Amino acid sequence: MTKQLIDQIEGEASIRFDMKENMVDFATIAFPHFRGMEAILEGKPALDALVVTPRVCGICGHAHLMASVRAMESAYADANEPVQLTAKADTIREVTLVLEMIQNHFKWIYLVIMPELAKLRPEKIALTPLKGAYAASLASKALASFAGQWPHSSYMLPGGVSCDPTHLERIKAQSLVDELISFFEKECAGTALDDFLAFDSCHDFNALESDIGEIERALTAAGMHKKGFAYDRFMVLGEHRFTNPAKVMQTRLLQADEKHVKTHSAYSPSEKTFAKNACYKDEFYECGPLSRAMASNVELIKSMHRRFKDSAYSRVMARIFETARLLDHARDMLGSLALNEDSLIPPKPITGISGCGVGVVEAPRGPLIHRVEIEEGIIKSYEIVTPTQWNIGSSVKENPTPAQLAMMGNVTMEEALFIFRTFDVCSVCTTH
Amino acid sequence: MSDKIEGVKKLFTSKSARVETNRGESYYNNLFERCQARLDELRAQEPVNRLDFSELLSEHGTDRRDFMKWVSATTAMLMLPPMFAPLVAEAAELMNRAPVIWLELQDCAGNSEALLRSDGPKIDEIVLDIISLEFHETLMAPSGHQAEKQLDGAMGHFNGKYLLFVEGSIPVGAGKEWCTIGASGENFLDHLTRVAEGAAAVVAVGSCATYGGIPAAAPNPTGAVGVMDVIKGKPVINIPACPANPANMVGVVLHYVLTGQVPELDSLLRPKFAFGYRIHDNCERRAHFDAGEYVESWGDEGAKNNFCLYKMGCKGPMTFNNCSIVRYNEGVNWPIGVGRGCIGCSEPDFWDKYAYERPMADAKLKAPTGGVEKSVDEFGLGLLTAAGIGIGIHAAASAIAGKKEDGGEA
Ligand code: SF4
Ligand code: SF4
Repeated sequence: MTKQLIDQIEGEASIRFDMKENMVDFATIAFPHFRGMEAILEGKPALDALVVTPRVCGICGHAHLMASVRAMESAYADANEPVQLTAKADTIREVTLVLEMIQNHFKWIYLVIMPELAKLRPEKIALTPLKGAYAASLASKALASFAGQWPHSSYMLPGGVSCDPTHLERIKAQSLVDELISFFEKECAGTALDDFLAFDSCHDFNALESDIGEIERALTAAGMHKKGFAYDRFMVLGEHRFTNPAKVMQTRLLQADEKHVKTHSAYSPSEKTFAKNACYKDEFYECGPLSRAMASNVELIKSMHRRFKDSAYSRVMARIFETARLLDHARDMLGSLALNEDSLIPPKPITGISGCGVGVVEAPRGPLIHRVEIEEGIIKSYEIVTPTQWNIGSSVKENPTPAQLAMMGNVTMEEALFIFRTFDVCSVCTTH
Repeated sequence: MSDKIEGVKKLFTSKSARVETNRGESYYNNLFERCQARLDELRAQEPVNRLDFSELLSEHGTDRRDFMKWVSATTAMLMLPPMFAPLVAEAAELMNRAPVIWLELQDCAGNSEALLRSDGPKIDEIVLDIISLEFHETLMAPSGHQAEKQLDGAMGHFNGKYLLFVEGSIPVGAGKEWCTIGASGENFLDHLTRVAEGAAAVVAVGSCATYGGIPAAAPNPTGAVGVMDVIKGKPVINIPACPANPANMVGVVLHYVLTGQVPELDSLLRPKFAFGYRIHDNCERRAHFDAGEYVESWGDEGAKNNFCLYKMGCKGPMTFNNCSIVRYNEGVNWPIGVGRGCIGCSEPDFWDKYAYERPMADAKLKAPTGGVEKSVDEFGLGLLTAAGIGIGIHAAASAIAGKKEDGGEA
């Protein structure tokens, strides 16, 4: 058995490999860090969750904020005091969430995937981590125009958002997004965003003289279109304008409902782990950009899936393609933002609210669920289920999690380590 | 009643910059010479990494003018007179002589995320690139055993010279044995103690590393504490806030390169150049506070007109930090700019005491002017929730503040 430590993610993870003839036979995964966020929330005034939960994670804190505020709004509804949102508040929330995803994806492409791919194909990849940092900084600046700061913003409240942007702020955000789009066209894609979005086959990537073209060719050269398969079933639970909740079995779209999601202790016989596995009706599903593209019928990704199924290749390229789609989406939403509506319609004070609520959002890595029970404005219980718990749980060999399955059989340890990263791991979220 | 009024006066009128910004000519001349000597010494040293500042600048297409703009802003931030600008520029170029080790403990990785997207994308990025963080769990290329070897190498080679940046808290209670780090499974406390041993100074980045932060919020499930609680006999510099402002991280490194010393610190070991300012005193909504114009509920007319957020729980009046001046994300914005109050994230224990939406009047707190923790009523702050009285007191207090100022520290 060999232990491999994974860092350069948010936090740390460790994988123990059982090898057979130099190929991975089985692997277990442990997440050794823990802070106890759920215990910290119990007994605190409900709105404190809006400052506490974003601090679960330094890279997707905004998704936590949104899940938390949605959970609270759902508790209002449970208490028969439904909360109203204006289109303006809803759009601003959605824009900032999308911008957070964009910064995450850029960072992952340049700071995780390219260096990891270079380890497999050293002669092919030129490393330019600062490109990723620069693109991400543009996205977080645009985000901060509405959210005040990034990471760790707390500007959403039950009933809306606290900011009241003027045309000036909107223009500022728009120009940042435009700048980011040109950066993407020039420095990443090597083609115009609209042309990129019109791609209908994987061959189109292959022709690109750009970072994305390089990544695509390196993935194929490394055989990643034939490796890293998981269950070929996908889960999306968050309701958004860019995707919709669905359970996808191969290509069949079925309904999905958060209430069937449960967590179980992870299997990690030789090392302590604080992670729990997330299951839907006791079954494992893959989540994240590939799942979202399958659930929302993105033509290119469906055609990719026909050829390469849920391989490591599809997983990487789907995230890259999602970055482009989200850029386009952010531009559209900023253009349609109605500034004359109210930012917030105040609900009844939360001190008068008792009820249970659930908030679900699509975070960069997949569905993020917050479940809360409030009694007269005080948190009785709080549960957080994060995307990495779906993809990168640790279970027994007979019933592996998506990441375990993707690393098993016919791959070397080096390849398995790469495949592991294609899921975009976040340790701090997983254990919270 | 008069006690209360005194309390309010004191709290709301303590001078914003508790730092001497002008120490007289001879002081600065002296410092100038010392810095020059230090920089000459550094120049003679081998760079700790191969990166060349001017090369990087031109690679990034940054021209000299942008750089000089950055230099004068940074000189001002470090509270140095303009004559130091050439030295600051030189220090930035000699940044590759400052070995930095970065450790991530019990955290959310938010501070390194903030740093990665630091201010002035070009120049601070280059600075970051150059200090290059000899060893940073999140950013560094090798992993696992190789990373540990690299850490040991850096510790040996720069023994006594490196700055150790720590992100995240240290579990010393129930969590002490739960959380381990690295291939050898060392617990956080042992790991930190070992790496701090050979450090010239330890810089705690973010409120977790400073005070235990959010993991230390009640009931503190893991027994989390901050760096200064466990590292003794070593200079500790705290850069709290959640996340810490990258400008302040760069400021500390630059100050160290320039002077070879830790910057002047306040009682909570925070550099005064960054934490000598009170949010409230540099707040863009301050005029509304003075005029008694408050947001009374989220989304009301006051909110639409950017009124003061005190009644919505703004902790600006007791929070020391420079984010009302440098702001976040390259100066784009800050929390009060989007109509939510300051949560006091650079002050100890804010999670439990203040958090969201609770006006200070409902919290137990310690005045920035010092003294023991008192309930707000003892301070008389409760009075301020009645706007009318608040204005009266405030107006009276401001008049006095103009004459005399003696706000010391706790
Ligand atoms: S201080 Fe804030 S940003 Fe820093 S590690 Fe703690 S929670 Fe994260
Ligand atoms: S918003 Fe906060 S910091 Fe600004 S003036 Fe009002 S109380 Fe002071």
